[in-house]
Amino acid sequence: MGTGSTDVAGAVRGRSAVVAVGNTAQGTVPGIPADELAVEALRITLAEAGIDKSAVDGLITCKSYGGFGIDTEIGRLAGLNPAYSATLDYGTCNFSLHLACAVIDAGLASTVAIVYGTDQRSSGNRFGHALGRQDEASVYGFLNVAGPAAMAFRRHQHLYGTTEADLGRIAVSQRRYAEDNPLAIFREPLTLEDYLAQPYLVEPLRRSDLCMISDGGACLVVARADRARDLTETPVHVLGIAQQTGLRDRQNADQWMRGWIEQVASRIYPAAGIARDDVDALYIQDPTSVWVLQMLEMYGFVEPGGVGEAFATGQVGHGGRLPLNTNGGQLSEAYMWGFLHLCEAVRQLRGEAGGRQLEGLRTAQYCSTFGFMKAASTILGTELS
Amino acid sequence: MTGEGLAGPDTTTGDDSPFWAGAREGRLEFQHCASCGFVRWPAAGVCPECLSRDFAWRPVEPVGTVWSWVVYHRAYSAALRERVPYDVALVELDCGVRLLTRLTGFAGGDDPVGTRVVARFEELGEHGRVPVFAPAEEGTDR
Ligand SMILES: [Zn+2]
Repeated sequence: MGTGSTDVAGAVRGRSAVVAVGNTAQGTVPGIPADELAVEALRITLAEAGIDKSAVDGLITCKSYGGFGIDTEIGRLAGLNPAYSATLDYGTCNFSLHLACAVIDAGLASTVAIVYGTDQRSSGNRFGHALGRQDEASVYGFLNVAGPAAMAFRRHQHLYGTTEADLGRIAVSQRRYAEDNPLAIFREPLTLEDYLAQPYLVEPLRRSDLCMISDGGACLVVARADRARDLTETPVHVLGIAQQTGLRDRQNADQWMRGWIEQVASRIYPAAGIARDDVDALYIQDPTSVWVLQMLEMYGFVEPGGVGEAFATGQVGHGGRLPLNTNGGQLSEAYMWGFLHLCEAVRQLRGEAGGRQLEGLRTAQYCSTFGFMKAASTILGTELS
Repeated sequence: MTGEGLAGPDTTTGDDSPFWAGAREGRLEFQHCASCGFVRWPAAGVCPECLSRDFAWRPVEPVGTVWSWVVYHRAYSAALRERVPYDVALVELDCGVRLLTRLTGFAGGDDPVGTRVVARFEELGEHGRVPVFAPAEEGTDR
């Protein structure tokens, strides 16, 4: 496993910027195929930003449920001949954004659209499959990400004495944000008592610890710094990016604890040239609340085992010193495979977050993982000095 | 049942059927790397440590420690509707393999995490006899 080297410090800082974000309706969007939802997100994003389609010379798509989302198909539907295009086999948007930064830095393109679309709610995906290589999983019924997440949380409870109420504070905080987010699917209030009264799905996890599948599309446009200034008055600069894989999968000890995420944590702040304490708003991709718990700890925002206290004392979460998943996250807003976390971070940094706008933001960090395979983080900022 | 190298006749090296066949006969066995001795699971054609393709399926000591466990209250496939609620555990075997399984012989209020366990073999629906794990007689070691 690589070490947390600092030779990447400042490698991408200020070289590219997010110039536009956008999304379609979320939830149940019947009758529109996945690829058309991706193109619809692109159309909305370009229209809202006043960017002409001809400005896009790079296209990065991400494969979605059912094998959709291939760049060649999306490009055909969108009527694009970009200088560069590619498809990633996984989402969370971090990996797509990092590829866009590399593509821009290499001179392959100057203005890259990153798109994602899915119709998995309407087309009937239930994620009733094992995650990763789990040969005996079907025999023992170890299906859905809820299984490994519940395993990881039970282990965490054993190690640190974490309670179900501690974990529940994550879903409760995110729901409180979602109440102020018109896009969110789940907006009805959720108290800790409500949470604890929910039946288990995979014990010790409950309904609100797991995200609900949705239809929809989302898009970001990333541009080389000089192009960004032509395309918007409010570019959101990419200050730093970092990644780490855990591709050994089941050969990794404590595989579901995903300790290799700490490698990203050790690299991201030097890469961005800021300290962890300089992060004004935090976004953590959350197919389950357990992933939020893990990343809060591994990035050092919360002491191991201290998550309940961190929320209760206003260290993190709604009303706290460090805002977390201010869109409601995948748990309450919508499952757009992390894309809406970055959309929200950009909107907050640009002062476009409406009724949930935070004050005085200069930086935001987004952390995500592709199951047990990869982790990534991005730090965005409004200023380069 | 050995990998014969790149040109060898056995091309089904990722096949895990010897594991299930062994379980039906009350044995816990895994691929052992012929080059470095690494015991691997899931089944694979290559040793993830030394990249050798030579291996043999051999029994291991059927003992380990419970890493964690969960209880499914929801059936994520139609075939599991009759089974809920059911538990799934991850056991770290002393040979190094981490195996998904189910537990047996624990009392209601017990937290099995960290408990020393030993394999038993029980019928599990259409799968026949499969490994399950019960508390070892010496009790817990942590
Ligand atoms: Zn070997």
